[in-house]
Amino acid sequence: MTMAVPKRRWPSSTVWIVAAVAVVVHVLAWQATEFSPAALIAGWEGMADFLAESLPPDLSVLGKSLEAAVTTLYIGLLGTTFSIPFALLLALLASRATTSAAWAQQAARAVLSFLRSVPDVVFALIFVTAVGLGPFAGVLALVFHNTGVMGKLWAEAMDESDRGPRDALRVTGASGPQIALHAVLPTVMPSLAGLLLYRLDVNVRSSLVLGLVGAGGIGFLINQSIKLFRFDEMVTHILVVLLLVVVVDQASGFVRKRLGA
Amino acid sequence: MLAIRGLRKTFGGRTVLDGFDLTVEAGEFVALLGPNGSGKSTALRCVVGLETPDGGSVSVDGNAAMVFQKIHLVGRRTALDNVCSGALGRLPLHRSVFFGQDVREEAVRCLDRVGLADRVLERCARLSGGQQQRVAIARALCQRANVILADEPVSALDPQAAVQVMELLVELANDGLAVVAVLHQPELARTYAHRIVEMGAFA
Ligand SMILES: Nc1ncnc2c1ncn2[C@@H]1O[C@H](COP(=O)(O)OP(=O)(O)OP(=O)(O)O)[C@@H](O)[C@H]1O
Ligand SMILES: [Mg+2]
Repeated sequence: MTMAVPKRRWPSSTVWIVAAVAVVVHVLAWQATEFSPAALIAGWEGMADFLAESLPPDLSVLGKSLEAAVTTLYIGLLGTTFSIPFALLLALLASRATTSAAWAQQAARAVLSFLRSVPDVVFALIFVTAVGLGPFAGVLALVFHNTGVMGKLWAEAMDESDRGPRDALRVTGASGPQIALHAVLPTVMPSLAGLLLYRLDVNVRSSLVLGLVGAGGIGFLINQSIKLFRFDEMVTHILVVLLLVVVVDQASGFVRKRLGA
Repeated sequence: MLAIRGLRKTFGGRTVLDGFDLTVEAGEFVALLGPNGSGKSTALRCVVGLETPDGGSVSVDGNAAMVFQKIHLVGRRTALDNVCSGALGRLPLHRSVFFGQDVREEAVRCLDRVGLADRVLERCARLSGGQQQRVAIARALCQRANVILADEPVSALDPQAAVQVMELLVELANDGLAVVAVLHQPELARTYAHRIVEMGAFA
């Protein structure tokens, strides 16, 4: 007895079309971004000048720099903390482990994906016009954007939680919120805490960039130094930034490892 | 106490249950035997509402609790918290954030009934399989169930723990509960059950 062997299907015409489109798009992108290795090589003197001007770093601004770095840390901290209640509520509504009404899930997911797709810098520009230049605008921007990102990550963690304990509580007659409270949340708590620390780490780095658009902290100082061509000051700020980023990253990593998440 | 009449269930055109009948009286321990895929789990899940039957009727005099092969406790929580959660069905939401003293006392009595009064504050993940299954039975008791449906309650347990759990289930039946247990070992069924029901397979 012979069996029909399926014909080899690869590479199919779809693969060729996808490859051709990818090449065309990359050529267009190359032109639009004025991508030019030659310019980079020709411009190395400019970079050397810049480096010469910026070294040695001006350490007289170190105090101011450290102070601003702490502000940056605080922006990231409050931006993360204040997004917890909103992210939790939306995650509970968006996860199929905790919400059975399809319309509620869809609505929560839509809100989360809107908040996630607006970059925090855009939120910062909006809030700067509302509450003026300064760290508060940065905190508000992070609260909005981080609610979207963390809410989605949390909802996914809840989706992945074991279905068994949920079913077991449903049999006892427990309601949706009761199941969330007594089966889902206790199970996923370590993952949620790990994701929270990861977001804190990311948000502290984001708040640097928010500073560049006027939302206070050390990013704001870097922006000022560039405008005044004080590259030696800028290098001090950047060294402080490196220190801040490494410290937060290590601390968050350490705690996450202890959580086992 | 439990009456199942003409229960029917199909999954995507495959008939799993086609007119299944079962009556269990208070104080009776019925063992349910049958080959893989004969619909034993499906029948129990229809009784407690985890599946919706396509036809037939289920009537429970009181309320039915379920015990699972995979136990399904929240491993990170204490035995006490897990047992308290059996009471959720009769608690309003505002009283179920933290369990009240009355619920906790009842849960301790349930744990004492299954012989685990000394492990009340132990996290479930740290208990042995047999102990965990007994906590799950205590949760069913805290639900104030008069019918206990156990789906392969001892399949994942070592022989000694299996005997303990079987003896516990028989005692509960003798105390007046209606108990149905899906079993895969006919010897256990013959030793402990008051009555054996065989389910056939629908191909
Ligand atoms: N949710 C579901 N969706 C589709 N098919 C299902 C579902 N649940 C069960 N089935 C099918 O129904 C049939 C009966 O399943 P059931 O779990 O009730 O059998 P069982 O008697 O408990 O078998 P076992 O001894 O293996 O536990 C199986 O063929 C299974 O594949
Ligand atoms: Mg089964």
